[in-house]
Amino acid sequence: MSKHLLKFTVNGKDQALVVESHERLLDVLRDRLGLKGTKEGCSTGDCGICAVIMDGKLVNSCLVFAIQARNKKITTIEAIGTAENPHPLQRAFIKYNAIQCGFCIPAMILASKNLLDHNPSPTDEEIKEAIRGTLCRCTGYQSIIKAVKAAAIEMKK
Amino acid sequence: MIRMVHDEYSNRSQQTLVGKNVERVDATDKVLGKPIYSMDILPENCLYLKVVRSTHAHALLKKIDVSEARRYSGVVLVITAADIPGINESAALLPDKPLLASEKVRFSGEPIAAIASHDPTVAEEALNLVKIDYEDLPTIFSPLDALKPDAPKIHHTGNVAKHLKLRKGDVEDGFRQADYVVEGTYRTQFQEPVPLEPESGFVIPEPDGSVTCVGSMQSPFHVQTGIAKILSLRADQVRVIQAATGGAFGPKSDEMPVDILGMAAIVALKTHQPTALAYTREESMIGHTKRHPFIIKLKAGVKKNGRLTAWEAELVADTGAYASLGPLVVTRALFHATGPYEIPNVKSDSYCVYTNNTMAGSFRGFGGPQSHFAAESHVEEIAKKIGMDPLEFRRINMLRPGSLTATSQVVDEGCGLKECVEKVVEASSWERKRSEFVRQTGAIRKGIGIAILYHGNSLGPEGNDFVAAHMNIDKDGTIRFRTALTEYGTGAPSGLLQIAAETMHLPMSYFKLEPPDTDYCNDAGPTVASRTTAVGGRAAQLVAGKLHQRLKEVAAELLGSTVDLIETSNASYYTRESPQRVVSYLEVVKEAYKNGLELKAHDTFTAPKCEYEPETSQGTTYLQYTYGAVTAEVEVDTETGKVQVDRMVAAYDVGKAINPLAVEGQIEGGTLQGLGYAIMEELVHKDGTVLNPNLADYYIPTSKDIPEIKSIIVEYPGQLGPYGAKVIGEPPVVLPAAAIVNAIDHAIGVRLTEIPATPDRVLNYLRKKN
Repeated sequence: MSKHLLKFTVNGKDQALVVESHERLLDVLRDRLGLKGTKEGCSTGDCGICAVIMDGKLVNSCLVFAIQARNKKITTIEAIGTAENPHPLQRAFIKYNAIQCGFCIPAMILASKNLLDHNPSPTDEEIKEAIRGTLCRCTGYQSIIKAVKAAAIEMKK
Repeated sequence: MIRMVHDEYSNRSQQTLVGKNVERVDATDKVLGKPIYSMDILPENCLYLKVVRSTHAHALLKKIDVSEARRYSGVVLVITAADIPGINESAALLPDKPLLASEKVRFSGEPIAAIASHDPTVAEEALNLVKIDYEDLPTIFSPLDALKPDAPKIHHTGNVAKHLKLRKGDVEDGFRQADYVVEGTYRTQFQEPVPLEPESGFVIPEPDGSVTCVGSMQSPFHVQTGIAKILSLRADQVRVIQAATGGAFGPKSDEMPVDILGMAAIVALKTHQPTALAYTREESMIGHTKRHPFIIKLKAGVKKNGRLTAWEAELVADTGAYASLGPLVVTRALFHATGPYEIPNVKSDSYCVYTNNTMAGSFRGFGGPQSHFAAESHVEEIAKKIGMDPLEFRRINMLRPGSLTATSQVVDEGCGLKECVEKVVEASSWERKRSEFVRQTGAIRKGIGIAILYHGNSLGPEGNDFVAAHMNIDKDGTIRFRTALTEYGTGAPSGLLQIAAETMHLPMSYFKLEPPDTDYCNDAGPTVASRTTAVGGRAAQLVAGKLHQRLKEVAAELLGSTVDLIETSNASYYTRESPQRVVSYLEVVKEAYKNGLELKAHDTFTAPKCEYEPETSQGTTYLQYTYGAVTAEVEVDTETGKVQVDRMVAAYDVGKAINPLAVEGQIEGGTLQGLGYAIMEELVHKDGTVLNPNLADYYIPTSKDIPEIKSIIVEYPGQLGPYGAKVIGEPPVVLPAAAIVNAIDHAIGVRLTEIPATPDRVLNYLRKKN
């Protein structure tokens, strides 16, 4: 296995790490950088639970080799909001009960944020399209769609 | 008659919190992505386990050679059944399932050995180095084959894990009174629960030889008993803590957390190192319990005027290689096999049958979806036979106060079935759409269908129904609420805090939900059967009531009054005589601490035992019932067979919605899981091997599959739950299959007697019709 120097930006902070060719972005984020908010649901790119934003695109971090993130900007759930200052999406997810078991929620919020970054006034269909790759088994998605719409309105205020 | 335990707390006229939309207490951690799940909080320098699994569906294990795997660089330990210090068992109800197979395997995927390494990749590489000699045995993959007298035996006890009978009236007499007899056979599939977090956990060996087990689970005390047996330790030497659990739906209540933590505990004790095990998605889908496939034969007698006179049912469930809770699943299925109808004469038999398929067991609904799919399809066929509108037929026969259920239980006043039906009929524009849709032409046809249910609340026949809860008040006024009932997504434990806060006239902000931990909680029974609110809510009231009383005593001293004169509201205490003199909750807590008074309480609520005759299943099988009605509107593409569900209306009589927002969440989520069951989800076995153990080939609904779901809450208070609350966790998954299949029949005139209604299946049925 060859080793590589990986320089990239994670949640606004520059990082430099030595990684092996086969290391997944998911493992580097969770195990090397301690960002446990990114979850692992299937390891085959089917559930979308491990999604992060890479240079403005939502990617499944289980399918991305860490070295593919070289010189890129990664955003994980840890950079979205804090308990004291939650993101409007986070507030709306709580208000509309768009959370049950919570396991898909980091990815769901990132998918929604990535949508709103590019499209501040999405329709229901556009929201469904944006989160179609992120599975949720608890909520039935309806409350999530409501929350995203409400957050979009809130963010324009 | 069962005597209900008197409820002194649920004054139904004046609540300030109960019945209001309340934010769940675990929400903030979850939206922030905090490290709360098992795999987020692993101890340092953990060993990782990987599991060696059988590749044969039914075989004797002649030899298990782990020597090469043991020598593999980086492997720390390999365990087999021979390394189990105690009893080799990880079972739910019958002692039929080993933790690690030793003499024989009964399904493809059964655990045989586990390999430990600090590097999970190394452990995985070593899996292929374990050499196993199998001697194949004859296999059975159909429960009907398993019932044949000459069938090879999968267990020495035979292939029938449970046969249960229900006898009401005289079914032959009922058929003699009938003008028509309608027969049908219905089949359902393996449905995979797919909690998005696969099973996981870790075990820390303690210096005194005890173990601390942390994992994703529903029922910590079941895990404690299981692990103690495996390790040959006392229960108090096994501490079990539930980590945040990323969905469960049933499989995490029984064997799986014991499998995970049992294997990890053996390794942790032998190596004195913390040990973790997380299943891959594939292992989870093969290993854990799924919804039982059923074959249900129904025969109904009906008069020309639409009255049902007799109902005969035979239910055969494939429980796979191990019984799990299959015997209880067929019990619930049997009790609900008529659907929510009053029928004077009923004869039903249900069988829980072993095969060499993977294991079926607990899954939200627990036999209800299969029974209702069959019954609610069959009543449509009966109505068709006598030329009656299916809705009218349901109105004539459905349960109402005073009716006798199939188990001869008298339906009490807490029955909102009729209102549920009328509400969905109105909200779905039923009458207009029923007549409009039949006039369509073209390739795409619309249809609308209905289905109705009753769902027995409480464990009933499934065990002793009790919940313990604990509360203590910190110096700063924080109230710590503990119970071994778990949060795995439902939000029901937040509801317990809401009920406790209501009882004490305090805002919820003082309350904190502590994680379930067997060192700090008494047994609360399993977190199953949607029982948290109905049974746990009563326990929360008892404990909150005790603390409330104690605080009032302190307040009385502060106010120079007596406790029976103390009034409370919104965290203040006063007397009716001089309401202007008020002491606050925080002042009372401070005073109690000053006086050395203990602000701690715990109690256990025990529901009355259900009583029924085991040979006939006649009696009180459940303590109250949830009722519901669902309509589904579909579009069927007659060229491709694709079914799209456009709109669903779901009304449930939940007695009292403690938190309407959470009730709607259960309805919406359960409805979509039921929609998946109806049209897309099927775990496919071929010769015992699961062909689609991944989320690329096993479809669950995505955001693009959702219909518009309208939830309607109906409230006819029940006898058991706090404030008359009934259960709502499971019921929403029960009806979508029947409602959707009935809508397909309305759209294209084809009765599917099996699910899921995938495009190929719909096309096949259409071809057969034409």
